[in-house]
Amino acid sequence: MRDRIEIALKNSKADYTEIRIEEREATTVAYRGRDLETANAVIDVGGIVRCLCRDGGWGVATFNDLSDLLTRVEQAYQCARVAQSEEPIPLAPIPASEDRLTVALQHDFRGVPMADKKVLAEAYNEILLGYSDKIVDTMCHYADAFSRVTLATSEGTFVEEERPMVSLRVVAIARDGDNVQTASEGRSGQRGFDFLQGQEELARVVAQRAVDLLSAETVVGGQYPVVLNPMLAGVFVHEAFGHLSESDFVYENPKAQEMMVLGRRFGLDILTVFDDGSLPGLRGTHRYDDEGTPTGRTDLIKDGILVGRLHSRETAAKMGERATGNARATGYRYPPIVRMTNTAIEGGETSFEEMVKGIELGVYACDAYGGQTALENFSFSSGYAYMIRDGQIAEMVKDVILAGNLFTTLMNVDAIGDDFEWLHAAGRCGKGQGGLPVAFGAPHIRIQDVVMGGK
Amino acid sequence: MDILKQLGAKAEQAEVVHVHSESTTVGFESNRLKSSQVEETRGVAVRVVKGGRLGFAASSDESATDRLVTNALESAAYGDEIPIAFPAPQPAPQVTTFDPAIVELSIPRMVEIGQEIVDLILQIEPEARVNVTLERSVQHLSLRNQAGNEVSSRRSPLSVICEVIRVEGDDVLALFDLVGTTVWQDDYLAFARRLREKLELAQKSAAIRSGRMPVLFAPTGALVLGLPIMLGLDGKNVYTGVSPMAGKVGQKLFDDKIAVIDDPTLDGRFGSASYDDEGVAHRRNVLVEGGGLNGFMYDLKTAAQSGVESTGNGSRGLFNPPSPSPTNLVFQAGETPLAEMIASIDEGLLVEDPLGLGQGNVISGAFSNSLSLAFKIEKGEIVGRVKDVSIAGNVYDLLQDVAAVSQETGWVYFNFNLPYVLLPDMNVVAKA
Repeated sequence: MRDRIEIALKNSKADYTEIRIEEREATTVAYRGRDLETANAVIDVGGIVRCLCRDGGWGVATFNDLSDLLTRVEQAYQCARVAQSEEPIPLAPIPASEDRLTVALQHDFRGVPMADKKVLAEAYNEILLGYSDKIVDTMCHYADAFSRVTLATSEGTFVEEERPMVSLRVVAIARDGDNVQTASEGRSGQRGFDFLQGQEELARVVAQRAVDLLSAETVVGGQYPVVLNPMLAGVFVHEAFGHLSESDFVYENPKAQEMMVLGRRFGLDILTVFDDGSLPGLRGTHRYDDEGTPTGRTDLIKDGILVGRLHSRETAAKMGERATGNARATGYRYPPIVRMTNTAIEGGETSFEEMVKGIELGVYACDAYGGQTALENFSFSSGYAYMIRDGQIAEMVKDVILAGNLFTTLMNVDAIGDDFEWLHAAGRCGKGQGGLPVAFGAPHIRIQDVVMGGK
Repeated sequence: MDILKQLGAKAEQAEVVHVHSESTTVGFESNRLKSSQVEETRGVAVRVVKGGRLGFAASSDESATDRLVTNALESAAYGDEIPIAFPAPQPAPQVTTFDPAIVELSIPRMVEIGQEIVDLILQIEPEARVNVTLERSVQHLSLRNQAGNEVSSRRSPLSVICEVIRVEGDDVLALFDLVGTTVWQDDYLAFARRLREKLELAQKSAAIRSGRMPVLFAPTGALVLGLPIMLGLDGKNVYTGVSPMAGKVGQKLFDDKIAVIDDPTLDGRFGSASYDDEGVAHRRNVLVEGGGLNGFMYDLKTAAQSGVESTGNGSRGLFNPPSPSPTNLVFQAGETPLAEMIASIDEGLLVEDPLGLGQGNVISGAFSNSLSLAFKIEKGEIVGRVKDVSIAGNVYDLLQDVAAVSQETGWVYFNFNLPYVLLPDMNVVAKA
């Protein structure tokens, strides 16, 4: 294969050519209620060629049939010639890497029979179903995937990488008349089968929460001080701020550059936010991004000040900055675009008790159902929440959806917890190309004056 | 050996689906043509019923036949015991989903169209950044099963995704629209003109109070109301009991003005086809009529589980077994002209684009959305854009009382057709 890739690269007429080939085998076992809904394996093999003509644009060809790479390169080159660029499109320099990354999993899921995967998922599902007669539906979703990705470029990079991923998602749906409530938890990492064993407590917590939510009242709409648990704080920083730090948003937009000018104050001195794709075992981790740039830590906000942003080679060159290793693709159907990896709010000094103590009436919001951002505006919903009354965690409330303006909200973050953690939830970011694995990290944080919809 | 025969020799029932598609995409980024892409997809998916159990496997490597057969049989060994029967050949309505005018669109012509869209927006918002993606495809699907059913379909979807970002100081307006068709539309710029009208209206801003008021949902905004209903009508959610509509066929659940139809027989629409992805003939299904519940959307599996017939709503991607899904979901037009609806509002909110669509406990009917684009209506006129506003409520409560449904409708998110819907009294939260 290597010979064929190198010959195809050599024959390219483009200024820059990149070939990525992916072979993936994935297994899914899923229960829904009493039924085993899915127990199957799929094989996915495909490739992508991306060409750049500096006075033209980007051209891409994707395919499943790997037999004729020369033709694919020619197709991508013809596509690259469609656009006409007045200024040559630059790429920030990176070292050419030659590497072969293999993984040794503690308990490799490829050797685990389907029967054992079924037993594992069934056991968690039984915990959910048996927890209460109020639980009317469940989902227990086990998935593993093992990919071999080869990336080769006309600049001499040739990286072969094995990418394992396991994930577990448990969902309990409780119902009382017309009142239907859902709770869920996930766990995922670039790890072996063992990472998903022994998670009975996770299933119990989810079942209990779904039942508890049945008796929770809808939060009363208004403005509150809100304490976010680490999971929700992590999703918040990803959604509300992280997407603005992706340079494809600013690099060709002078007004957006003014808004996101380095040195601008975004928060109090206590706030530091970073992205780091090099941390072992997390969902967003790779040694190299999908352009072959080595990954590493990029500080985005340091002591409240905007200090950095995430780049592909093109956005970095356009802005005269360094490529940060954030060009990522959701599989061989897509060219890489600027994406986050593992994004976090750095831990601070306030204990959870202190954070809550000062709040007369507020909300403690936990976990995330999902989030969305339209740049400065964001909206995200918590999985479950409690009122805070007179400095104490009080009754559970539901339908807590936080919405707001990024700039005012970040300035309103007035306490950062001393309990930082990386979350092992199955985080996926849907920007542009569908779900790409990402990880979130954060401690508890407190935000003043958050607007909340509600009754 | 033919894979259907191979599987048929080892199982009671077998189904083989081959997909092959080719697509061409041009992408404008920040007002300029940035990239173009060709994509070829091939793959095969199989299902078997062995020992009464259903199994599935798929591969994009068409040469991996042996592994595919092994995987399908292993999957069946653990599969559900379901009284499913792959359908025999059956007559289906003629539906147009293929148009040579789309297939023959050249890349230069696609670039021209993209540029026309960009120019249309820039005429009124010269500082905006416009991203446009145009994609045309040819999709072939062929399905064969042991019951002698052979269906092959050919579609030519054309889709346009347009995103407009306008930054003024710290004020960011981001608008997003996506439209699709399978036959060429001469007025292909209609959606871009609507987007432009919204942008023009958004140039003026207005303030709104928190509190109860009439709220008018535009077609995209009305998805806030439509999405929970779509999920509630999904045969899978009905079978599992999570749908609040489960067990309520024949009951009146909504205002008289609410009617919902799943209609795959409309020529040229994005979700149209003669057969579904399991070889079941398509038909127009009236799901809600005069506010009363008529029925649900089923595929073969959920139908078998529920002891009913498939409604032709089996939908699949290469790597997933079929599941129930709407084809073209039509929320029926009403009798009131839009202009009359706006004129009737003394103080109210017009919801154009919600944020966070589909998040939260949607199946329960509950929604809570902040709004990326909404307008204040005052004394019968749209007076300006309001920011930092959110709405919340429950569809099953709110749709008991609908003030008016418009004659005008719009296609949004490819295969949803919705009118303007006026709710007389709901809670709006605005940042003070």
